[in-house]
Amino acid sequence: MAKNMSSKNNFNLDQYQVQKTNKVLKVLIYIGLVIWALIDLFPVYWMFTFSLKSNEEVYGTNVMGLPKDWLWSNYSTAMTTGNMPLYFLNSVIVTVSSIAICLVAAMMATYALTRIIWKGSKTMNAFFMLGITIPIHSSIVPIFITLSKLKMVNSYWAMIIPYSAFSLAMAILICTGFMNDIPKDLDEAAYIDGCTLWQTFIKIIVPLMKPALATISIYTFLQCWNELMFAQSFISQKKYRTLPVGIQALSGQHTTDWGPIGAALVIATFPTLLVYVFMSKSIQESFIAGAVKG
Amino acid sequence: MKLKKLAATLLAAAMVVSCAACGSGSGDSGNNGGNKDTGKKVESVDLKSQKVTLDMWCIATESDSNRKSYENAIAEMKQEYPDITLNWEAFENQSYKTKIKAAMAADEVPDIFFTWSCAFLGDFVDSGKVYCLDDAYQDYKSELPEVMLANSTYNGKHYGVPLTMNIVGLFCNMDLLKEAGWNEVPTTYDDLIKCCDALKAKGIIPFGCAGGETWCVTEYLEPVIEKSIGADAMNDIFLGRASWDNAEVAKAVDTFQSMVKAGYFDPNAVSLSNDEVKANFMQGKYAFYQNGTWNCADFANDANFFPKVKVTEFPVVDSSKGKLGQLIGGPSDTLAVTAKSANAAVAAKYTFELGKRICHYGYLDGCGLPAWTPYGDTSNINGLTKAVSEICANANAYVLFGDTAMNADDAQKYLDYVAQVYGCKVDGNAFISGLKKEIR
Amino acid sequence: MKNNTYKYLMIAIFLAPALILFIGVLIAPIIMSVFYSFFDMKSISLKGAEFIFLGNYKELFTSGSINVWRALGNAMLLAALSVFLQLPLSLGLALMLGKGIKGERGFLSIYFMPVLISTVVIGQLWRKIYNPDYGILNAVLGLLGIGDKMPLGGWLGNEASALWCVFVPTLWQYVGYHMLLMYAGVRSVSPELREAAKLDGATDGQVDWYVVIPSIKPILKVSVIFAVTGSLKSFDLIYVLTKGGPYHATEVPSTLMISMLFERNRYGMGSTIAVLMISLCFAFAILISAAFKEREYGKKHVIKK
Repeated sequence: MAKNMSSKNNFNLDQYQVQKTNKVLKVLIYIGLVIWALIDLFPVYWMFTFSLKSNEEVYGTNVMGLPKDWLWSNYSTAMTTGNMPLYFLNSVIVTVSSIAICLVAAMMATYALTRIIWKGSKTMNAFFMLGITIPIHSSIVPIFITLSKLKMVNSYWAMIIPYSAFSLAMAILICTGFMNDIPKDLDEAAYIDGCTLWQTFIKIIVPLMKPALATISIYTFLQCWNELMFAQSFISQKKYRTLPVGIQALSGQHTTDWGPIGAALVIATFPTLLVYVFMSKSIQESFIAGAVKG
Repeated sequence: MKLKKLAATLLAAAMVVSCAACGSGSGDSGNNGGNKDTGKKVESVDLKSQKVTLDMWCIATESDSNRKSYENAIAEMKQEYPDITLNWEAFENQSYKTKIKAAMAADEVPDIFFTWSCAFLGDFVDSGKVYCLDDAYQDYKSELPEVMLANSTYNGKHYGVPLTMNIVGLFCNMDLLKEAGWNEVPTTYDDLIKCCDALKAKGIIPFGCAGGETWCVTEYLEPVIEKSIGADAMNDIFLGRASWDNAEVAKAVDTFQSMVKAGYFDPNAVSLSNDEVKANFMQGKYAFYQNGTWNCADFANDANFFPKVKVTEFPVVDSSKGKLGQLIGGPSDTLAVTAKSANAAVAAKYTFELGKRICHYGYLDGCGLPAWTPYGDTSNINGLTKAVSEICANANAYVLFGDTAMNADDAQKYLDYVAQVYGCKVDGNAFISGLKKEIR
Repeated sequence: MKNNTYKYLMIAIFLAPALILFIGVLIAPIIMSVFYSFFDMKSISLKGAEFIFLGNYKELFTSGSINVWRALGNAMLLAALSVFLQLPLSLGLALMLGKGIKGERGFLSIYFMPVLISTVVIGQLWRKIYNPDYGILNAVLGLLGIGDKMPLGGWLGNEASALWCVFVPTLWQYVGYHMLLMYAGVRSVSPELREAAKLDGATDGQVDWYVVIPSIKPILKVSVIFAVTGSLKSFDLIYVLTKGGPYHATEVPSTLMISMLFERNRYGMGSTIAVLMISLCFAFAILISAAFKEREYGKKHVIKK
């Protein structure tokens, strides 16, 4: 990836004739890109503004402009009655745990599938790949029944286990791509040094899989952070509610107060966006790496 | 004082007529779960000596009219029984219906839970999930008339503590009516239609109804049906004693639909929630709002709006069958105790004490009429609630809300067709033939 | 021999966590779902449930109150829209960005941003956008001088408009997702290849069409599979925006399933819909893979000629 990007700079388009016709095209391209950027940005901008407005402003003439009075009290309402910090923390706990479990399971499985030579490895790999197309929602009844028999409804595990299981297929797919890039000689060298399979995995493979870590984390994050159906059906106690459920509950209660809802939406979004702004390049690159390796 | 009697005695009489049948309609065999050895005399629990933690779910969210009465009642309970800790959570009405069913299926319900009486609670009782309250009730016989338990009694056993009782009321914004040349609320159906036309001519939307929540549509449709076919015929259908295949129901549905087609309802409200519609009504966007009388509290609390609003019952459509005094409603808001609760006996007793107080404060706030015999000073009850008491005092029959009277599957089918009626997808005939095929 | 036993033991250990998760949470539930779908379950346990074999399937496709055809039709329509509208848009953006435009990074970041925002947040936000009284959509249309274009019942309340209004944010959110996937592909096309094509006198469009797009086919395939299976299982946004209403106009299989489970307490029927969803997802994944294989094969032939 990086190689291609740098070579782009050496490649001078201007020396070719075709380039000339491109001037108009380039302007058109810019217009198109800017329009789509506005379409992406405007709803977010609007969310920020109405989170600071009173109902009079939202309902009145100042629908789109910046708020006249900056009503920060909307935020304290969302924080206190909306419990946003708690829900955010729960979302983080659930997502991070799911990512961790998924990572460990995926790396171990991929190691067995790609580095150890055995007969059924191809079939087993295909078996795991079934998971990519299975919709998470379709297993809700059996999982619900099983969890309630195990008395595990209303716990973090009720979300973490399904989330990590459903992220597994994608994670193995990505892992396979990354692991194939690690030269096999390293394994052999380790074997000659007297390392067991386990030691080879821990000492040689895992440290080299760091780039995969970020990529898998992003894909798993996208899967878990937004999930509503399981979280809504399995969790009834406030203390385990995740952000999506919390926001749903809050907007059910305050349908007519736009300010606090807007504030809650912003609070739910802001930390992720902040991380994204600072790390957008590496997040995008990791995401891209997943696509290329997969 | 006079009011107190009116409320208690007349309600009690009316209840016997319509609701007694409800309990027996649900659940066929005796395996209703709960405490089995009811034959033995159980010593009543002394709440003061208990040190337990109880969990409760209800629908008294911040925006719910009942919120204050819950808060007051719970605060009072805490003072009285400091050793009992109550953790309570409130969920939004529409989503709670889903939530409680899912939780019930998973045996993840708290000790005490809010429920609607009749079939809604009956579904849970049938599957043995609800604790029988017969023992605990012994101590409250004098304060809570047994007829009030009719909607939560199954096979002769009591499973719920009723809170307030409510009917469907037609709330009118008199300022808007005056603008259209009506100083009084129309008392006949023809006048109501004339009034609506006059309002429309003035550019005022007559009715606000949250199409996004189908139960709000039933608050309009059910009174029309009742005032067309009569309370008895309607009870027979709702409680499963008669088929939906009834030409008069079809006609009543068509009557309702003609009002929709005439543009009397806010077309934009189809996608709104009830809270949004209610807020619109209070801001003077609609002339009428027909909904449960629990709304009296919110209307009374808004100093600007309160002087404008009046409450009445929907006028008679077909005077050969429907009569004034035939109402939709009854004691539906109920608290119940989970059979699986570790402290079921304590929770049962606690629920009665709590229910009594919620009822008391709810009545004072105007959230409805009391199911319990009122106590204390009730002279400050708001005018709207007083008006509702008057209506109930003259009532001669009640039909319980359809989605409460029917079991979950049937209720959902019914709501589905009601939504289609409101959207003019089906007419009266399609409505009855559809429900006949799907339900009976 | 001892070595072999050790090897298989290690394989078992390495596979164990993934296999337990995978079988326990994915495979076993599918088998259970198929099993449950043969019963008329009124409660969560099989106790007292009646074995009706294909009864649920029959009812599912014939009942008047379960709008399964509509739900399937909507899901297919969404899938078609995302393949023929969303993906071309993503591809277009990816190709434009791939030309090495100033501010490339910035555009890229903005386009990917909606993917990171919680779907529920986006749903609630768009609910406000569509609000019939105070929504921004009406305000914007008013500014453009085409106010009063709102359909009867409001954007989300009108049967005809609700479906489109639900689709717009669904498609909008993931344009950036597919764009980034494709952008990665576009970027990995070797510059020499483009150069060569341009030397042959190819225009930009021709380069994209004959050089870039064919070489990112594997990524396009992944995108198409994700878009189609994603549409078949779409839930969050639709649930937040309309819950399948008005009058089932925006019903999709997953909303139908949830209402079966938690509104009507019909767990057997819910499982039946789940089985239907799984079968569809598999069928489409296989179909799409086959379609891409066929095409690649065809292309090779052309080149050989």
